[in-house]
Amino acid sequence: MNLEALADCLSSASCAVTQVSTGLIVGMLMFLVTSGLSLIFGVLGIINFTHGAFYMMGAYCAFTAYALTGSFLAALAAGALGVGLFGMAFERLVMSRVYGRDILMQLLVCYAMILILDDGVKLLYGGEYRMMGMPDAFALPPVEIAGGFVPGYYLFMVGVALAAGLVLWLGINRTRLGKIVRALAINPQMVGALGINTTLLYAGVFGLGSLLAGLAGALAAPIRTLTPGMGVSILIESFIVTVIGGMGSIAGAFLAALLIGFTRAFGAIGFPLFVDGLMFALMALVLVVKPSGLLGREAA
Amino acid sequence: MLRVEHLSKSFGGVRATRDVSIDFPAGSLTAIIGPNGAGKTTFFNLISGHVRPDEGRVLFDGTDIVGLSSLEVVRRGMARAFQVASLFPSLTVREALTAAVVSHQRGSRRVFSRFPVAAAGRRADEIMDLLGLAPKADVLSANLSHGDQKLLDIGLALAMDPKVLLLDEPTAGMGPEERWRMIGKVHRLWEVTGMTMLFIEHDMDIVFKIAQTIHVLKYGAVLAQGSPDEIRRNQDVIDAYLGTDHRLSETVGEA
Amino acid sequence: MRPGLSPAGLRRPGLARDVAIALTGLALLLALPMAFPAPALRDFLIYFFAYGLLAMSLNLLVGLTGLVSFGHAAYFATGAYVFGLLMQTGRVSIPVGVLAAVGGTALVALVIGAICVRLKEIYFSFITLAFQMFIHSVIVTWVSLTGGDQGLRGGIPRPPVLGLDLNDARTLYGACAVVFVLCILAMRQVSQSPFGYTLRMIRDNPARANFLGVDVTAMKLGIFVFAAAMASVGGLILALFVSGAYPEFAFWTTSGEAIFMIMLGGIKIFLGPLVGTLLLQTLNHFVTIYTEHHGLVLGTVILVIVLGLRRGLADVLFDWLQARRAPRAAGPAPGSLEAEPIGDGALKGRTV
Repeated sequence: MNLEALADCLSSASCAVTQVSTGLIVGMLMFLVTSGLSLIFGVLGIINFTHGAFYMMGAYCAFTAYALTGSFLAALAAGALGVGLFGMAFERLVMSRVYGRDILMQLLVCYAMILILDDGVKLLYGGEYRMMGMPDAFALPPVEIAGGFVPGYYLFMVGVALAAGLVLWLGINRTRLGKIVRALAINPQMVGALGINTTLLYAGVFGLGSLLAGLAGALAAPIRTLTPGMGVSILIESFIVTVIGGMGSIAGAFLAALLIGFTRAFGAIGFPLFVDGLMFALMALVLVVKPSGLLGREAA
Repeated sequence: MLRVEHLSKSFGGVRATRDVSIDFPAGSLTAIIGPNGAGKTTFFNLISGHVRPDEGRVLFDGTDIVGLSSLEVVRRGMARAFQVASLFPSLTVREALTAAVVSHQRGSRRVFSRFPVAAAGRRADEIMDLLGLAPKADVLSANLSHGDQKLLDIGLALAMDPKVLLLDEPTAGMGPEERWRMIGKVHRLWEVTGMTMLFIEHDMDIVFKIAQTIHVLKYGAVLAQGSPDEIRRNQDVIDAYLGTDHRLSETVGEA
Repeated sequence: MRPGLSPAGLRRPGLARDVAIALTGLALLLALPMAFPAPALRDFLIYFFAYGLLAMSLNLLVGLTGLVSFGHAAYFATGAYVFGLLMQTGRVSIPVGVLAAVGGTALVALVIGAICVRLKEIYFSFITLAFQMFIHSVIVTWVSLTGGDQGLRGGIPRPPVLGLDLNDARTLYGACAVVFVLCILAMRQVSQSPFGYTLRMIRDNPARANFLGVDVTAMKLGIFVFAAAMASVGGLILALFVSGAYPEFAFWTTSGEAIFMIMLGGIKIFLGPLVGTLLLQTLNHFVTIYTEHHGLVLGTVILVIVLGLRRGLADVLFDWLQARRAPRAAGPAPGSLEAEPIGDGALKGRTV
């Protein structure tokens, strides 16, 4: 516990800005992963435990695409689309076979998939840490904001995440397709009776959710070390974000992701050993006081 | 025994129960009838603590039980059976009834004795005899016929040794002959135990034959109440049912 | 009302029969290493005791109560670490260490369970997983106490118990076997008790159980804490045997394996999870000999079994036996709905 360091940091503009920007990007990554998780749960009613592994896949896809093409845009596209397509295939070939069966079976299928993906990555890339490094396009001097310095890439990341979140929100709330998806979440038989191909929609929603995890992984690739099994911690964090924000609420996920992001960034200075504990304490508090989460609609 | 006073409940804009006041004397057998959507099941939910009323009191044995959880209401002696039998599919008839008796005797926490405890098992046997379920004692609840499932549902409620028993459409989903058999059992149960019983029923022939008192609900409010003869002649009731495709019209015609 | 008609139905396999089976099982377990004195078999069986208790206790939640916990290994690890740390102080005897580890784990489970058991199905699964990863992260970050990534090292002392020297491999094995069988017996008793049947009601239909006066939340919390305590015994057996404790005990894959053991063994038979433990342990044993890519193989096996077989192996067997027995039981049982239909006359007296 080092509250002095925390006070020092808060009173120094450069440190505060650095931590705020760190908190922002951590929060944005969590937001992307969580909104994918939440979307899949909202429509299909299942928790995709492989979501963290999809994030990892996104990072490795981006890593490979960047190594091959040298273009970071290609890397982002590879991470997002590659995982999105994989997610659709996974839904069709595996998950769709366990709908309506025991949760036990759904858990097992996800558990098996994580084992396979983690080990597959180990097979292809080796067990060691990998670094993608900052893409050339972002090898710029950091931007000065309010007396602190923020890497240009951070701004790009926040921008992409915000744009993705906005597109998702508009897509769900303002388009015809979004309306159908919302109807699908409430009454699938009715949607099917209207002559809409629900099978395709399910796969599409699952793919879109996976795509968001893949995009987050690709965005994280330049600033994180890549290891097999890197998906577990972000999976758990997005569970926490989901609980705090409220299941099925994109706005709630956004709010909670920022909250956790800042908790992590400033907690790392004030009480480095207790950061995880703080996140869990927050989650436990929400579960006890408001089980439906900050902006959740339905009680857990 | 049971008295409701000015009970009201709205869901959104829909007023499902409007200012209902009824007195159910000890040992009475009362039918609640009314067209579809009249708020009969909501009325049961309000009494049994499943749903909290917006206004009004539910006096059970002299005390107001509004606001108590359904758990506490059961423990005070009011039990209910459901329109769609709500059972424990993987337990046999005997196991389910015994477990319910164990719960009623506050024995659910016991870990050092073996199930079934003898006393609870005997009570379960009594209930099976009372309902004629004894031959099915070792059949899984999930494998029972529809009628037997409804009986077991009532049996589970009986395991609570209730002073007041609420039956939500005991004959729902049965053919004509089966209905009469079922209602015969319900009637005998009432005679044997002397409980205060309330039941919701659609079949007017049944209602007029066995109920002592009938309360007619329409749009959540009490439209009429009285003995079967009084209800049969009540012009409001006739109007309420004529125009709907209900079989009361025939019954009234015969009368 | 007539007195009970069918006392025969009340005569069930009682505690005496279970104790007899347990004693036979224990005798077999003790005799096995004498017949085949290879140390490898003993080691295999001690691992089997540890993970068997993990799987069996998890099944009290999954199979008996319908609570699918994905974080059960947390308590396995808590038991191992608390026990190891206490023994390393050098000031407690093994029985005291065991009791303290089990009690401590129960306390942790009480706090976590109080938060989790009120949640619905899938929510419960992922919050239990989250709390497990919290315990994992505490173990990994609190290096000064737990040794972090490296695990609890420096050995766990085994002072003599009742004059028995547990440093002797055969004595250690015997002690573990006794503890294992006692725990299985305790779990059997709980599952056959009135409490156990109340849990079955909750599994089948929690809303109806509540209407029958069952305090569903309290019952769930009770079994959650008991299952955690039993898992902790598994953890401390392992800690005692390997003379250390490792963060992997608390990792999510350990919980995943336990779930797979249950699925393999089937949830319909009380000892099913032990069959699953044995199968998975054997599989793991051979897989690790032939390949480094354990996850790939295990993952594929799970997918094939879940998607192909759709049930546990023991359940397949169980269903087959039931199907053979079914034709006899299916005959109509007369007299249930044949009470006298009431005629008009019978009713007039009561109708006011």
